[in-house]
Amino acid sequence: MEQALVEFLRRQHPDADEVLVEAFEPIPGGFSRETYRFDAVVSGPAGVERRGYILRKDPPAAAAILHTSRKLEHELLESLRAHTSVPVSRSYGYELDPAVFGEPAMVIERMPGNGRTSDLFHEGPDADQVDDVIRHLCELLAELHRADVSAVDPHGGLADPRGVGIDASSWERYIETTLEYYLNGYDGIGYDPEFFVFLDAMQTLRRTPPRPLPLTIVHGDFNPANFLYANRRVTALIDWENARIGDPREDLGWMLTMDALSNTSVLAHPRNEGGFLAYYNKLTGFGVTPEELAWFSMFATINVAVPVASAIGRRVRREHNQFLHLYMVAPSSGALIGFAQMLGYPGVA
Amino acid sequence: MYNSPDVDQYLEGLIFAINDEILPELTTAKAQTTAVMMQAVLQQLRQTVPVYLGYLVDEHNAMLGVLRAAAAALGAADGPEADRIRERAAGLGAAAPLPTPPAYDEVIAAHRALGQALVDNARDLDVLQRAGDTRADEALTVLRAHWGPRYARDLATITVGSGFLGRG
Repeated sequence: MEQALVEFLRRQHPDADEVLVEAFEPIPGGFSRETYRFDAVVSGPAGVERRGYILRKDPPAAAAILHTSRKLEHELLESLRAHTSVPVSRSYGYELDPAVFGEPAMVIERMPGNGRTSDLFHEGPDADQVDDVIRHLCELLAELHRADVSAVDPHGGLADPRGVGIDASSWERYIETTLEYYLNGYDGIGYDPEFFVFLDAMQTLRRTPPRPLPLTIVHGDFNPANFLYANRRVTALIDWENARIGDPREDLGWMLTMDALSNTSVLAHPRNEGGFLAYYNKLTGFGVTPEELAWFSMFATINVAVPVASAIGRRVRREHNQFLHLYMVAPSSGALIGFAQMLGYPGVA
Repeated sequence: MYNSPDVDQYLEGLIFAINDEILPELTTAKAQTTAVMMQAVLQQLRQTVPVYLGYLVDEHNAMLGVLRAAAAALGAADGPEADRIRERAAGLGAAAPLPTPPAYDEVIAAHRALGQALVDNARDLDVLQRAGDTRADEALTVLRAHWGPRYARDLATITVGSGFLGRG
């Protein structure tokens, strides 16, 4: 792997006399991509430069949770850097040939900041920063959702990045075709009837659509673990593999789900603005209601639940042997009761 | 409760994970040996879980007969020891046999079939609801009233800690 990285970086630095890869090690916890950190020392006419990098690699196809393109993620990161002030890693390129890194992969800048965002909560060591950090996080999300879609995604690649038949030509068609995708996907996750509530949610969402909002760029995995921070500011939004054109309320809804599953309280901040949703509405003017938040919590959760449960299903059918997928069953189960609560199931507090 | 993955698949998954993801990283012979022992214990559990309750019930019911037969074999023997054996036969040995539990695979299959029927009901009810039949709303509430407490009990049973390990 290190030698492949050296050759990759040599192509990025054709004038370099020497490229060394050091301190290469896997980063635990990436649930949908294999992630590695390393330093590269590039010696050339301009001197010696050391930089921190991240290698993001697709898992084997059978074990993959999200089937999206590293090329598209590369283009998005560079476009966000060019057209917004949202802090994201610079992408140094991608390699789709699995012969090089074992699977398609991309190499990005390693951003500064603490990624152990649980330090912000429950009297953690950075609990005094939580209001400022989450305020900034909210401002960045608002900026992302107000970004010019045609500038950030000029070729329309984010309209249907999974290639599953999503039509983002209008809000109505987006919601309709996305729910069709979810309902078709239920057959792939229905390996256990325990997922009854997901089917019920999909059908209920289809019967009770909310008001339209303009479609925007959505992060797609906006959760309490997908940012870095330092000195009371967000230093990076990370893990853009599920980004797409969508309804901005999806990011809020997914955060609602993951805030509960992660035992964090992002949505309670910034407190002096009345919490995340109130501050977001103040910044965007979208006027998102708690009822819409609940609707999109289910909508966005299913967006992730379909591929996650499908990957678990492939593990159950022994198409791969990744242990992670078995582990994910229990912590993901909180979503089932969360859905039951939002749908008003009797007997659920 | 999930029936897929079931307990056996979890145990098998642990054996694979120890082999594929843990053993290659272990650097001492003691740690490697412990890991292999853990695999053996997990395999022992895989073999035990499906028959555990059935064997316990089978042995329980057999012991009822053994207590009674042993006392009968003593006949009218004298002494406190013989008296105690007859008392055990008349007391514990007179208990009713426990019902034999169905086979593990049989329970999984029957449970799954009924669960799938509820899923199929939800699909049909959605068609009726979209057609405006409000009676389908009530029928859906019946299904939800089953699943709500069931999810609560399942979550309370399987939850370990909070959050996702390995995430920030």
